[in-house]
Amino acid sequence: MIAFNAWRWGVAVVVAEDLTMRYRVPVRAGGLAAALASVVRRRYRDVDAVRQVSFEIAPGEVVGFIGPNGAGKTTTLKMLSGLLHPTSGELRVLGFTPGQRKAPFLKQIALIRGSQPVGGSQELTVLDALDYQRLLYDVAPGDYRQTLAELTGLLDLGPLLERQLRALSLGERMRTGLALALLYRPRVLFLDEPTLGLDVTATAVIRRFLAGHAAQTGATILLTSHYMADVESLCRRLILIDHGRVRYDGPLRELAARLTPYKLVRVSAAGATRPDFAAAGEIVEHADGRWVLRVPRERVARVTAALLTSLDVADLAVEEPPLENVIDRAYRDGLA
Amino acid sequence: MRRILRLTALRVRRQFLDWSGTWWFTITLVANESLVPLAGLFVWSAVFPGDPRVVSYFAALIAVQIMTASYENHTFSETVYQGTVSHELLRPQPVVIGPIGENLAIRLWMALFGLPPAVLAGFLLGATYRPADLLLALPALAGAAVLRFLYTWILALTAFWTERVHAVVTFGGMLMALLGGAVAPVSLLPGPWRTVAQALPFHAMLGLPADIAIGAVTGPAAVAALGRGLAWIAAFTVLAAVVWRSGARRYTVVGA
Repeated sequence: MIAFNAWRWGVAVVVAEDLTMRYRVPVRAGGLAAALASVVRRRYRDVDAVRQVSFEIAPGEVVGFIGPNGAGKTTTLKMLSGLLHPTSGELRVLGFTPGQRKAPFLKQIALIRGSQPVGGSQELTVLDALDYQRLLYDVAPGDYRQTLAELTGLLDLGPLLERQLRALSLGERMRTGLALALLYRPRVLFLDEPTLGLDVTATAVIRRFLAGHAAQTGATILLTSHYMADVESLCRRLILIDHGRVRYDGPLRELAARLTPYKLVRVSAAGATRPDFAAAGEIVEHADGRWVLRVPRERVARVTAALLTSLDVADLAVEEPPLENVIDRAYRDGLA
Repeated sequence: MRRILRLTALRVRRQFLDWSGTWWFTITLVANESLVPLAGLFVWSAVFPGDPRVVSYFAALIAVQIMTASYENHTFSETVYQGTVSHELLRPQPVVIGPIGENLAIRLWMALFGLPPAVLAGFLLGATYRPADLLLALPALAGAAVLRFLYTWILALTAFWTERVHAVVTFGGMLMALLGGAVAPVSLLPGPWRTVAQALPFHAMLGLPADIAIGAVTGPAAVAALGRGLAWIAAFTVLAAVVWRSGARRYTVVGA
């Protein structure tokens, strides 16, 4: 195991070193005989949910933590927030060992899960729940009023304040969950699928709010999401995990460049025909005088220059391939 | 400590508000808690017809049942099964404050709905008590309330290990009814059984306050019984802390 350097404690907000989580699950064969045998002798199998995961997150970073289902994302977030004890490895968040769940640590972090954004009593009104949160986290009355006013404006909570939690829609519950979590201004946010199941409008509200919150408060955010638009709009850095291992940790753009050695060139050119693009690259789409070409990255500059001189170009754009395609390829083919 | 008490009071208030929406369900809980003492009343009234102590004892027992009822297998254990206990684990307060708050809130509602008819029924059936005995029964009632919560809480914590927590708590409830004075008053049990029942914690959870209220246990015997109750409270507090740590450890190792 790599020794932790003292300077890293001061710099990084989250430090994970060789983090491993192994579950022991009971197994047995099908049928009556196996069922009876399991009464006297149970068999178990080890399942490695997370294997030797290492990363660091600096203060104020917003990091996308992505991977296919069962990759170990939620397990990692639970370890970071203190809900799970790692089987092995070192873990520090804000200088604390999360698994000890000490009050000063819990007052500085929040774990928000899209599947369960609001916990506890569901009969209370949103305002009752916020008031309870104020007392629980020792938020000063002045700060409470100011933060509540800000959150009410940003998350459009006004119409919800007097409604019971159980009567809220999924989008309203997520907005309320965010307000409850941010009322005490946590320094580190762990967001597990924050836009899960939300419609387009609600998703846009949450994304806008999170981007604004990160920029304004300098909070450190680790975000998991299956919606690449969430990741693209919020995160510059990406950690890709698969089968419990980190497969990529770096800038979002580099991942695209590494996985897809081409860019998309969109051209609108009146009178252009297929042979005009023969030397440019592979034609991906063609309709109504608009052409989409797949061009190797190193040739993009030369190809665009050639197209601009040889054709009557009305519009030309160079784009990265959609992130969904990049990630899908990473999931399917790996990053080797 | 002041913060813990303040948070507990807040939790009671919060849960009291929460339960205000289900008053009709609270009435069914009151009825359910009254059934076993009522059955005991009918049976023992037939055995000792005309004995006013039988009516007085079982009327007091109904009040004790209502004011000490504990449902942590329904409230807390379900949060383990649904995974929502994770929310509580991440709050900067001891998790047990939640179940204590909900327990007290439910008892308050049950007392509001259950005590008036219980007192009225006792009055109509001819139950009588001496004020001095009733006063002495109050610390026994407080002890029973604490002990029964701890007992149910410990049993409810088995939710960390098994999905059959209701069977565990039901078995525990049967033991309490059998040896605690609901099926038969402990003072009426045969010699050896009486000694065993008095030594076990169940009497202090249920029958002792009723026994003291009707004057069946008085003087040094009452003080000794209260002392035994306190000893059981101390033992159950330690046991609850150990089981909680072990259960929470399992929850955070096996998976949340």
